[in-house]
Amino acid sequence: MNEDLKKTLLNPIFKGNPITVLVLGICSSLAVTVQLKGACVMALSVIIVTGLSSLVVSLLRNSIPNRVRIIVQLVVVAMMVILVDQVLKAYAYAIDKQLSVYIGLIITNCIVMGRIEAFALGNKPIPSLLDGLANGAGYGMILIIVAFFRELLGSGTLFGFRVLPESYVPNNLVILPPMALILLGCIVWVQRSIQKDLQEK
Amino acid sequence: MNTNSNVYTIVYTTIIVVIAAAILAIAAMALKPKQDANIKAETISQMLTAAGFSSKEDLAKLGNDKILEMYSQNVKTAFLIDAAGNKIGELETEGDIELQDNLKVENKNIAKGDPQLPVYVFEKDGAEINVIPIYGAGLWGPIWGYIAFNADCTEIMGAYFDHESETPGLGAKIKDEAWFREQFKGEQVNFSNPDNSFDIIKGGAPKDDKSAVDAITGATMTCNGLDAALDTWFKAYMPFLEKKAGAAGSDDSCCGDGCCDDHCGGDGCQDKGQCDHNHNHNHQEG
Repeated sequence: MNEDLKKTLLNPIFKGNPITVLVLGICSSLAVTVQLKGACVMALSVIIVTGLSSLVVSLLRNSIPNRVRIIVQLVVVAMMVILVDQVLKAYAYAIDKQLSVYIGLIITNCIVMGRIEAFALGNKPIPSLLDGLANGAGYGMILIIVAFFRELLGSGTLFGFRVLPESYVPNNLVILPPMALILLGCIVWVQRSIQKDLQEK
Repeated sequence: MNTNSNVYTIVYTTIIVVIAAAILAIAAMALKPKQDANIKAETISQMLTAAGFSSKEDLAKLGNDKILEMYSQNVKTAFLIDAAGNKIGELETEGDIELQDNLKVENKNIAKGDPQLPVYVFEKDGAEINVIPIYGAGLWGPIWGYIAFNADCTEIMGAYFDHESETPGLGAKIKDEAWFREQFKGEQVNFSNPDNSFDIIKGGAPKDDKSAVDAITGATMTCNGLDAALDTWFKAYMPFLEKKAGAAGSDDSCCGDGCCDDHCGGDGCQDKGQCDHNHNHNHQEG
Protein backbone atom coordinates (compact mmCIF):
# COMPACT_ATOMS: atom_id res chain seq x y z
CA MET A 1 0.00 0.00 0.00
CA ASN A 2 2.75 2.40 0.99
CA GLU A 3 4.60 1.46 -2.16
CA ASP A 4 1.43 2.22 -4.15
CA LEU A 5 1.04 5.64 -2.58
CA LYS A 6 4.65 6.46 -3.35
CA LYS A 7 4.11 5.46 -6.94
CA THR A 8 0.92 7.53 -7.14
CA LEU A 9 2.87 10.49 -5.85
CA LEU A 10 6.04 10.16 -7.94
CA ASN A 11 4.77 8.83 -11.24
CA PRO A 12 3.08 12.05 -12.45
CA ILE A 13 6.15 14.14 -11.64
CA PHE A 14 8.38 12.48 -14.20
CA LYS A 15 7.42 9.16 -15.80
CA GLY A 16 3.81 10.05 -16.40
CA ASN A 17 4.11 13.82 -16.47
CA PRO A 18 0.78 15.36 -17.53
CA ILE A 19 2.38 17.85 -19.94
CA THR A 20 5.27 16.00 -21.52
CA VAL A 21 3.84 12.47 -21.57
CA LEU A 22 0.06 12.81 -21.46
CA VAL A 23 0.25 16.14 -23.40
CA LEU A 24 -2.49 17.77 -21.32
CA GLY A 25 -2.62 21.43 -20.32
CA ILE A 26 -0.41 22.69 -23.16
CA CYS A 27 -2.50 25.79 -23.78
CA SER A 28 -2.05 27.43 -20.39
CA SER A 29 1.59 26.38 -20.20
CA LEU A 30 2.25 28.52 -23.27
CA ALA A 31 0.33 31.47 -21.92
CA VAL A 32 1.49 31.93 -18.34
CA THR A 33 5.20 31.14 -18.61
CA VAL A 34 6.53 34.57 -19.56
CA GLN A 35 7.46 35.29 -15.95
CA LEU A 36 8.47 32.95 -13.14
CA LYS A 37 6.26 34.61 -10.55
CA GLY A 38 3.12 34.10 -12.60
CA ALA A 39 4.13 30.53 -13.42
CA CYS A 40 4.65 29.72 -9.73
CA VAL A 41 1.26 31.11 -8.72
CA MET A 42 -0.39 29.28 -11.62
CA ALA A 43 1.39 26.05 -10.61
CA LEU A 44 0.24 26.44 -7.02
CA SER A 45 -3.33 27.18 -8.13
CA VAL A 46 -3.47 24.11 -10.35
CA ILE A 47 -2.00 21.91 -7.59
CA ILE A 48 -4.70 23.09 -5.19
CA VAL A 49 -7.50 22.69 -7.75
CA THR A 50 -6.46 19.23 -8.94
CA GLY A 51 -5.84 17.99 -5.41
CA LEU A 52 -9.04 19.24 -3.84
CA SER A 53 -11.30 18.38 -6.80
CA SER A 54 -9.94 14.85 -6.89
CA LEU A 55 -10.50 14.54 -3.14
CA VAL A 56 -14.08 15.82 -3.29
CA VAL A 57 -15.04 13.75 -6.32
CA SER A 58 -13.49 10.68 -4.74
CA LEU A 59 -15.56 11.24 -1.59
CA LEU A 60 -18.69 11.50 -3.74
CA ARG A 61 -17.71 8.74 -6.16
CA ASN A 62 -20.16 6.09 -4.92
CA SER A 63 -23.12 8.44 -4.91
CA ILE A 64 -22.62 10.29 -8.21
CA PRO A 65 -25.27 9.23 -10.77
CA ASN A 66 -23.30 7.83 -13.68
CA ARG A 67 -25.28 9.68 -16.34
CA VAL A 68 -24.45 13.14 -15.02
CA ARG A 69 -21.03 12.44 -13.56
CA ILE A 70 -19.20 14.84 -15.91
CA ILE A 71 -21.54 17.67 -14.94
CA VAL A 72 -21.13 16.96 -11.25
CA GLN A 73 -17.35 16.88 -11.68
CA LEU A 74 -17.49 20.18 -13.54
CA VAL A 75 -19.48 21.77 -10.73
CA VAL A 76 -16.85 20.65 -8.21
CA VAL A 77 -13.92 21.80 -10.37
CA ALA A 78 -15.55 25.12 -11.23
CA MET A 79 -16.24 25.78 -7.57
CA MET A 80 -12.60 25.15 -6.65
CA VAL A 81 -11.35 27.38 -9.45
CA ILE A 82 -13.63 30.25 -8.47
CA LEU A 83 -12.54 29.86 -4.84
CA VAL A 84 -8.88 30.05 -5.88
CA ASP A 85 -9.60 33.07 -8.07
CA GLN A 86 -11.44 34.85 -5.25
CA VAL A 87 -8.64 34.16 -2.77
CA LEU A 88 -6.03 35.43 -5.26
CA LYS A 89 -8.10 38.57 -5.88
CA ALA A 90 -8.11 39.20 -2.15
CA TYR A 91 -4.52 38.30 -1.30
CA ALA A 92 -2.45 38.52 -4.51
CA TYR A 93 -4.28 41.07 -6.61
CA ALA A 94 -1.35 42.04 -8.85
CA ILE A 95 -0.63 38.45 -9.79
CA ASP A 96 -4.31 37.73 -10.33
CA LYS A 97 -4.43 40.63 -12.78
CA GLN A 98 -1.37 39.31 -14.55
CA LEU A 99 -2.77 35.79 -14.87
CA SER A 100 -6.14 37.30 -15.84
CA VAL A 101 -8.30 34.81 -17.70
CA TYR A 102 -5.97 31.85 -17.25
CA ILE A 103 -7.00 31.24 -13.64
CA GLY A 104 -10.59 30.89 -14.79
CA LEU A 105 -9.44 28.63 -17.58
CA ILE A 106 -8.05 26.07 -15.12
CA ILE A 107 -11.61 24.70 -15.37
CA THR A 108 -10.89 23.69 -18.94
CA ASN A 109 -7.43 22.35 -18.12
CA CYS A 110 -7.60 18.75 -19.25
CA ILE A 111 -5.39 17.60 -16.39
CA VAL A 112 -8.09 18.30 -13.81
CA MET A 113 -10.95 16.48 -15.54
CA GLY A 114 -8.61 13.83 -16.88
CA ARG A 115 -7.34 12.81 -13.44
CA ILE A 116 -10.84 12.87 -11.96
CA GLU A 117 -12.18 10.60 -14.69
CA ALA A 118 -9.18 8.30 -14.75
CA PHE A 119 -8.32 8.11 -11.07
CA ALA A 120 -10.55 9.79 -8.52
CA LEU A 121 -13.76 8.06 -9.68
CA GLY A 122 -12.28 4.65 -8.93
CA ASN A 123 -10.04 5.23 -5.94
CA LYS A 124 -10.24 6.06 -2.24
CA PRO A 125 -10.01 9.72 -1.15
CA ILE A 126 -6.42 9.77 0.16
CA PRO A 127 -4.78 8.25 -2.94
CA SER A 128 -7.01 10.50 -5.09
CA LEU A 129 -5.87 13.59 -3.20
CA LEU A 130 -2.23 12.57 -3.65
CA ASP A 131 -2.76 11.79 -7.34
CA GLY A 132 -4.33 15.21 -7.87
CA LEU A 133 -1.59 17.02 -5.99
CA ALA A 134 1.14 15.08 -7.80
CA ASN A 135 -0.32 15.75 -11.23
CA GLY A 136 -0.63 19.42 -10.39
CA ALA A 137 2.98 19.36 -9.26
CA GLY A 138 4.10 17.63 -12.45
CA TYR A 139 2.32 20.31 -14.46
CA GLY A 140 3.76 23.06 -12.27
CA MET A 141 7.29 21.72 -12.58
CA ILE A 142 7.23 21.96 -16.38
CA LEU A 143 5.64 25.40 -16.12
CA ILE A 144 8.44 26.62 -13.88
CA ILE A 145 11.18 25.13 -16.07
CA VAL A 146 9.75 26.81 -19.18
CA ALA A 147 9.17 30.09 -17.33
CA PHE A 148 12.76 30.01 -16.03
CA PHE A 149 14.21 30.00 -19.54
CA ARG A 150 11.65 32.42 -20.94
CA GLU A 151 12.12 35.03 -18.25
CA LEU A 152 15.91 34.61 -18.24
CA LEU A 153 16.34 34.91 -22.00
CA GLY A 154 13.34 37.10 -22.72
CA SER A 155 13.78 39.75 -20.02
CA GLY A 156 17.19 38.96 -18.49
CA THR A 157 15.55 38.68 -15.07
CA LEU A 158 14.42 35.97 -12.63
CA PHE A 159 11.45 36.68 -10.33
CA GLY A 160 11.78 40.27 -11.54
CA PHE A 161 15.39 40.62 -10.37
CA ARG A 162 18.01 41.37 -13.00
CA VAL A 163 20.32 38.39 -13.47
CA LEU A 164 21.91 38.99 -16.85
CA PRO A 165 23.94 42.21 -17.29
CA GLU A 166 22.28 45.31 -18.72
CA SER A 167 24.25 44.80 -21.93
CA TYR A 168 22.20 41.66 -22.67
CA VAL A 169 19.69 42.38 -25.40
CA PRO A 170 16.42 40.60 -24.47
CA ASN A 171 15.33 38.05 -27.02
CA ASN A 172 11.80 39.07 -27.91
CA LEU A 173 11.08 35.77 -29.63
CA VAL A 174 11.31 34.01 -26.27
CA ILE A 175 8.53 36.23 -24.90
CA LEU A 176 6.16 35.05 -27.64
CA PRO A 177 4.13 31.83 -27.19
CA PRO A 178 5.76 29.89 -30.09
CA MET A 179 9.04 29.79 -28.20
CA ALA A 180 7.27 28.20 -25.24
CA LEU A 181 6.11 25.44 -27.57
CA ILE A 182 9.67 24.95 -28.85
CA LEU A 183 10.98 24.84 -25.26
CA LEU A 184 8.30 22.28 -24.37
CA GLY A 185 9.40 20.24 -27.35
CA CYS A 186 12.98 20.32 -26.08
CA ILE A 187 11.84 19.11 -22.66
CA VAL A 188 9.90 16.24 -24.26
CA TRP A 189 13.02 15.42 -26.30
CA VAL A 190 15.23 15.33 -23.19
CA GLN A 191 12.73 13.18 -21.32
CA ARG A 192 12.33 10.71 -24.17
CA SER A 193 16.05 10.32 -24.60
CA ILE A 194 16.33 9.43 -20.90
CA GLN A 195 13.18 7.33 -20.75
CA LYS A 196 13.62 4.95 -23.70
CA ASP A 197 10.25 3.18 -23.25
CA LEU A 198 8.43 6.35 -24.33
CA GLN A 199 10.01 6.30 -27.78
CA GLU A 200 7.75 5.13 -30.58
CA LYS A 201 9.13 2.52 -32.95
CA MET B 1 -30.37 2.70 -3.84
CA ASN B 2 -30.69 3.07 -7.59
CA THR B 3 -28.32 5.91 -8.40
CA ASN B 4 -29.44 5.94 -12.01
CA SER B 5 -33.11 6.78 -11.49
CA ASN B 6 -34.35 10.13 -12.75
CA VAL B 7 -35.55 11.32 -9.36
CA TYR B 8 -32.22 10.51 -7.71
CA THR B 9 -30.29 12.26 -10.48
CA ILE B 10 -32.35 15.44 -10.26
CA VAL B 11 -32.31 15.57 -6.45
CA TYR B 12 -28.58 14.82 -6.35
CA THR B 13 -27.56 17.49 -8.85
CA THR B 14 -29.82 20.02 -7.15
CA ILE B 15 -28.23 19.39 -3.77
CA ILE B 16 -24.70 19.56 -5.20
CA VAL B 17 -25.38 22.83 -6.99
CA VAL B 18 -27.00 24.40 -3.92
CA ILE B 19 -24.06 23.40 -1.73
CA ALA B 20 -21.55 24.72 -4.25
CA ALA B 21 -23.47 27.97 -4.60
CA ALA B 22 -23.62 28.38 -0.82
CA ILE B 23 -19.87 27.83 -0.43
CA LEU B 24 -19.10 30.33 -3.21
CA ALA B 25 -21.50 32.91 -1.80
CA ILE B 26 -19.93 32.67 1.65
CA ALA B 27 -16.42 32.93 0.20
CA ALA B 28 -17.34 35.89 -1.98
CA MET B 29 -18.90 37.73 0.95
CA ALA B 30 -16.02 37.00 3.28
CA LEU B 31 -13.38 38.14 0.79
CA LYS B 32 -15.26 41.15 -0.57
CA PRO B 33 -13.82 43.81 1.80
CA LYS B 34 -10.28 42.66 1.07
CA GLN B 35 -10.90 42.62 -2.69
CA ASP B 36 -12.48 46.06 -2.61
CA ALA B 37 -9.46 47.38 -0.71
CA ASN B 38 -7.22 45.96 -3.42
CA ILE B 39 -9.26 47.55 -6.19
CA LYS B 40 -9.22 50.89 -4.40
CA ALA B 41 -5.45 50.76 -3.95
CA GLU B 42 -5.09 49.77 -7.60
CA THR B 43 -7.21 52.72 -8.73
CA ILE B 44 -5.24 55.10 -6.54
CA SER B 45 -1.91 53.77 -7.74
CA GLN B 46 -3.05 54.31 -11.33
CA MET B 47 -3.82 57.93 -10.47
CA LEU B 48 -0.51 58.40 -8.67
CA THR B 49 1.31 56.92 -11.66
CA ALA B 50 -0.53 59.21 -14.09
CA ALA B 51 0.25 62.22 -11.91
CA GLY B 52 3.92 61.25 -11.86
CA PHE B 53 4.36 60.56 -8.15
CA SER B 54 5.70 57.08 -8.61
CA SER B 55 5.60 54.18 -11.01
CA LYS B 56 3.06 51.38 -10.99
CA GLU B 57 5.77 48.81 -10.25
CA ASP B 58 7.14 50.71 -7.25
CA LEU B 59 3.64 51.26 -5.89
CA ALA B 60 2.82 47.57 -6.19
CA LYS B 61 5.70 46.84 -3.80
CA LEU B 62 4.42 49.31 -1.21
CA GLY B 63 1.23 47.53 -0.26
CA ASN B 64 -2.29 48.89 0.07
CA ASP B 65 -1.92 50.87 3.29
CA LYS B 66 1.12 52.79 2.09
CA ILE B 67 -0.60 53.59 -1.20
CA LEU B 68 -3.63 55.02 0.61
CA GLU B 69 -1.30 56.98 2.87
CA MET B 70 0.60 58.35 -0.11
CA TYR B 71 -2.69 59.40 -1.67
CA SER B 72 -3.84 61.22 1.46
CA GLN B 73 -0.50 63.01 1.74
CA ASN B 74 -0.37 64.21 -1.83
CA VAL B 75 -3.99 64.86 -2.69
CA LYS B 76 -5.22 68.37 -2.04
CA THR B 77 -8.89 67.94 -2.69
CA ALA B 78 -11.19 65.66 -4.61
CA PHE B 79 -14.64 66.64 -5.76
CA LEU B 80 -17.46 65.87 -8.15
CA ILE B 81 -18.55 68.12 -10.98
CA ASP B 82 -21.71 68.15 -13.08
CA ALA B 83 -22.05 68.44 -16.85
CA ALA B 84 -21.58 72.23 -16.70
CA GLY B 85 -18.32 71.87 -14.80
CA ASN B 86 -19.71 73.12 -11.47
CA LYS B 87 -18.66 71.53 -8.24
CA ILE B 88 -21.51 69.50 -6.76
CA GLY B 89 -19.88 67.49 -4.02
CA GLU B 90 -16.73 66.66 -2.13
CA LEU B 91 -14.94 63.33 -1.91
CA GLU B 92 -13.29 62.31 1.33
CA THR B 93 -9.51 62.21 0.86
CA GLU B 94 -8.33 61.07 4.27
CA GLY B 95 -9.19 58.16 6.49
CA ASP B 96 -12.04 56.45 4.70
CA ILE B 97 -11.04 57.58 1.21
CA GLU B 98 -13.89 58.04 -1.24
CA LEU B 99 -13.41 57.53 -4.95
CA GLN B 100 -15.87 57.95 -7.78
CA ASP B 101 -14.64 54.85 -9.54
CA ASN B 102 -17.81 53.39 -11.00
CA LEU B 103 -16.81 54.73 -14.40
CA LYS B 104 -19.16 52.41 -16.28
CA VAL B 105 -22.18 54.09 -14.73
CA GLU B 106 -20.77 57.57 -15.31
CA ASN B 107 -20.04 56.68 -18.93
CA LYS B 108 -23.76 56.01 -19.36
CA ASN B 109 -24.61 59.19 -17.46
CA ILE B 110 -22.39 61.22 -19.81
CA ALA B 111 -24.45 59.95 -22.72
CA LYS B 112 -27.60 60.95 -20.82
CA GLY B 113 -26.09 64.35 -20.06
CA ASP B 114 -26.26 64.03 -16.30
CA PRO B 115 -22.90 62.79 -15.03
CA GLN B 116 -21.19 63.21 -11.66
CA LEU B 117 -17.57 63.35 -12.69
CA PRO B 118 -14.69 63.17 -10.24
CA VAL B 119 -11.69 65.50 -10.25
CA TYR B 120 -8.74 64.62 -8.05
CA VAL B 121 -6.46 67.55 -7.35
CA PHE B 122 -2.97 66.57 -6.27
CA GLU B 123 -0.19 68.90 -5.20
CA LYS B 124 3.38 68.32 -6.28
CA ASP B 125 6.20 70.78 -5.65
CA GLY B 126 3.66 73.50 -4.95
CA ALA B 127 1.85 73.05 -8.25
CA GLU B 128 -1.59 71.56 -8.69
CA ILE B 129 -2.15 68.47 -10.78
CA ASN B 130 -5.71 67.69 -11.85
CA VAL B 131 -6.37 64.03 -12.47
CA ILE B 132 -9.48 62.88 -14.32
CA PRO B 133 -10.59 59.41 -15.40
CA ILE B 134 -11.57 58.23 -18.86
CA TYR B 135 -13.54 55.11 -19.73
CA GLY B 136 -14.60 53.39 -22.92
CA ALA B 137 -14.82 50.20 -24.90
CA GLY B 138 -11.78 48.38 -26.19
CA LEU B 139 -11.90 45.41 -28.51
CA TRP B 140 -12.91 42.74 -25.98
CA GLY B 141 -13.95 44.63 -22.90
CA PRO B 142 -13.81 47.94 -21.09
CA ILE B 143 -10.70 50.12 -21.10
CA TRP B 144 -10.11 53.00 -18.74
CA GLY B 145 -7.38 55.27 -17.52
CA TYR B 146 -6.37 58.41 -15.68
CA ILE B 147 -5.11 61.60 -17.28
CA ALA B 148 -3.14 64.14 -15.25
CA PHE B 149 -3.32 67.82 -16.24
CA ASN B 150 -1.22 70.72 -15.04
CA ALA B 151 -2.73 73.37 -12.75
CA ASP B 152 -4.60 75.25 -15.50
CA CYS B 153 -5.49 72.09 -17.45
CA THR B 154 -3.77 73.29 -20.60
CA GLU B 155 -1.19 70.54 -20.72
CA ILE B 156 -1.24 66.82 -20.03
CA MET B 157 1.33 65.81 -17.40
CA GLY B 158 0.92 62.08 -17.65
CA ALA B 159 -1.48 59.25 -18.30
CA TYR B 160 -2.09 55.67 -17.26
CA PHE B 161 -4.33 53.19 -19.03
CA ASP B 162 -5.72 49.83 -18.03
CA HIS B 163 -7.99 47.29 -19.60
CA GLU B 164 -9.99 44.23 -18.65
CA SER B 165 -9.31 41.79 -21.45
CA GLU B 166 -7.44 43.27 -24.39
CA THR B 167 -5.23 40.88 -26.36
CA PRO B 168 -1.85 40.35 -24.64
CA GLY B 169 0.94 41.68 -26.84
CA LEU B 170 -1.41 43.78 -28.97
CA GLY B 171 -4.21 45.80 -27.38
CA ALA B 172 -2.79 45.18 -23.91
CA LYS B 173 0.14 47.40 -24.89
CA ILE B 174 -1.90 50.48 -23.95
CA LYS B 175 -1.10 49.40 -20.42
CA ASP B 176 2.18 47.52 -20.83
CA GLU B 177 4.16 49.81 -23.11
CA ALA B 178 5.58 52.82 -21.29
CA TRP B 179 6.33 54.67 -24.55
CA PHE B 180 2.63 54.78 -25.35
CA ARG B 181 1.61 56.63 -22.22
CA GLU B 182 4.80 58.73 -22.24
CA GLN B 183 3.61 60.26 -25.52
CA PHE B 184 0.75 61.97 -23.72
CA LYS B 185 3.13 64.15 -21.71
CA GLY B 186 3.06 67.71 -23.02
CA GLU B 187 0.02 67.12 -25.21
CA GLN B 188 -3.02 69.37 -25.06
CA VAL B 189 -6.75 68.97 -25.30
CA ASN B 190 -8.01 70.74 -28.38
CA PHE B 191 -10.62 73.07 -26.86
CA SER B 192 -11.69 74.42 -30.24
CA ASN B 193 -12.97 71.02 -31.37
CA PRO B 194 -14.97 69.58 -28.46
CA ASP B 195 -16.29 66.58 -30.39
CA ASN B 196 -12.86 65.35 -31.35
CA SER B 197 -10.52 66.97 -28.91
CA PHE B 198 -7.81 64.33 -29.01
CA ASP B 199 -6.54 61.88 -31.60
CA ILE B 200 -4.67 58.60 -31.58
CA ILE B 201 -3.42 58.34 -35.12
CA LYS B 202 -2.42 55.19 -36.94
CA GLY B 203 0.76 55.61 -38.90
CA GLY B 204 2.10 58.35 -36.67
CA ALA B 205 0.81 61.67 -35.41
CA PRO B 206 2.11 64.88 -37.03
CA LYS B 207 4.81 66.47 -34.88
CA ASP B 208 3.14 69.87 -34.81
CA ASP B 209 -0.24 68.48 -33.72
CA LYS B 210 -0.29 68.94 -29.97
CA SER B 211 -3.52 66.98 -29.57
CA ALA B 212 -2.51 63.71 -31.16
CA VAL B 213 -0.31 60.71 -30.36
CA ASP B 214 0.79 57.62 -32.29
CA ALA B 215 -1.39 54.53 -32.28
CA ILE B 216 -0.06 51.03 -31.57
CA THR B 217 0.62 48.70 -34.46
CA GLY B 218 -1.71 45.72 -34.41
CA ALA B 219 -4.03 47.30 -31.88
CA THR B 220 -6.24 49.36 -34.16
CA MET B 221 -9.52 48.51 -32.47
CA THR B 222 -8.19 49.13 -28.98
CA CYS B 223 -6.65 52.45 -30.06
CA ASN B 224 -9.87 53.51 -31.79
CA GLY B 225 -11.74 52.66 -28.59
CA LEU B 226 -9.27 54.65 -26.52
CA ASP B 227 -9.54 57.58 -28.95
CA ALA B 228 -13.33 57.53 -28.63
CA ALA B 229 -13.08 57.23 -24.84
CA LEU B 230 -10.74 60.25 -24.67
CA ASP B 231 -13.01 62.32 -26.93
CA THR B 232 -16.14 61.42 -24.95
CA TRP B 233 -14.68 62.09 -21.54
CA PHE B 234 -12.72 65.19 -22.54
CA LYS B 235 -15.96 66.55 -23.97
CA ALA B 236 -17.75 65.80 -20.71
CA TYR B 237 -15.00 67.56 -18.77
CA MET B 238 -14.66 70.37 -21.32
CA PRO B 239 -16.57 73.04 -19.32
CA PHE B 240 -14.42 72.30 -16.29
CA LEU B 241 -11.15 72.22 -18.26
CA GLU B 242 -12.02 75.45 -20.09
CA LYS B 243 -12.89 77.19 -16.84
CA LYS B 244 -9.57 76.14 -15.39
CA ALA B 245 -7.68 77.25 -18.48
CA GLY B 246 -9.63 80.51 -18.64
CA ALA B 247 -9.15 81.23 -14.96
CA ALA B 248 -5.45 80.67 -15.20
CA GLY B 249 -5.29 82.92 -18.25
CA SER B 250 -6.97 85.69 -16.34
CA ASP B 251 -4.65 85.12 -13.40
CA ASP B 252 -1.72 85.95 -15.62
CA SER B 253 -3.04 88.76 -17.72
CA CYS B 254 -6.34 90.01 -16.34
CA CYS B 255 -5.63 89.50 -12.71
CA GLY B 256 -6.56 92.67 -10.88
CA ASP B 257 -9.85 94.50 -11.26
CA GLY B 258 -9.78 96.84 -14.16
CA CYS B 259 -6.62 95.67 -15.85
CA CYS B 260 -8.59 93.24 -17.90
CA ASP B 261 -9.62 95.71 -20.57
CA ASP B 262 -6.06 96.73 -21.20
CA HIS B 263 -4.77 93.24 -21.61
CA CYS B 264 -7.56 91.55 -23.38
CA GLY B 265 -6.64 92.65 -26.83
CA GLY B 266 -3.22 91.09 -26.94
CA ASP B 267 -2.83 88.58 -24.18
CA GLY B 268 -4.65 85.54 -25.40
CA CYS B 269 -8.16 86.42 -24.26
CA GLN B 270 -10.30 86.00 -27.32
CA ASP B 271 -12.78 88.76 -26.61
CA LYS B 272 -14.18 90.80 -23.84
CA GLY B 273 -17.01 88.37 -23.26
CA GLN B 274 -14.55 85.65 -22.49
CA CYS B 275 -12.75 87.96 -20.14
CA ASP B 276 -15.88 88.91 -18.26
CA HIS B 277 -16.78 85.32 -18.04
CA ASN B 278 -13.44 84.56 -16.45
CA HIS B 279 -13.93 87.37 -14.08
CA ASN B 280 -17.31 86.16 -12.94
CA HIS B 281 -15.92 82.74 -12.56
CA ASN B 282 -13.11 83.99 -10.36
CA HIS B 283 -15.55 85.70 -8.10
CA GLN B 284 -17.68 82.64 -7.79
CA GLU B 285 -14.76 80.50 -6.86
CA GLY B 286 -13.65 83.11 -4.35
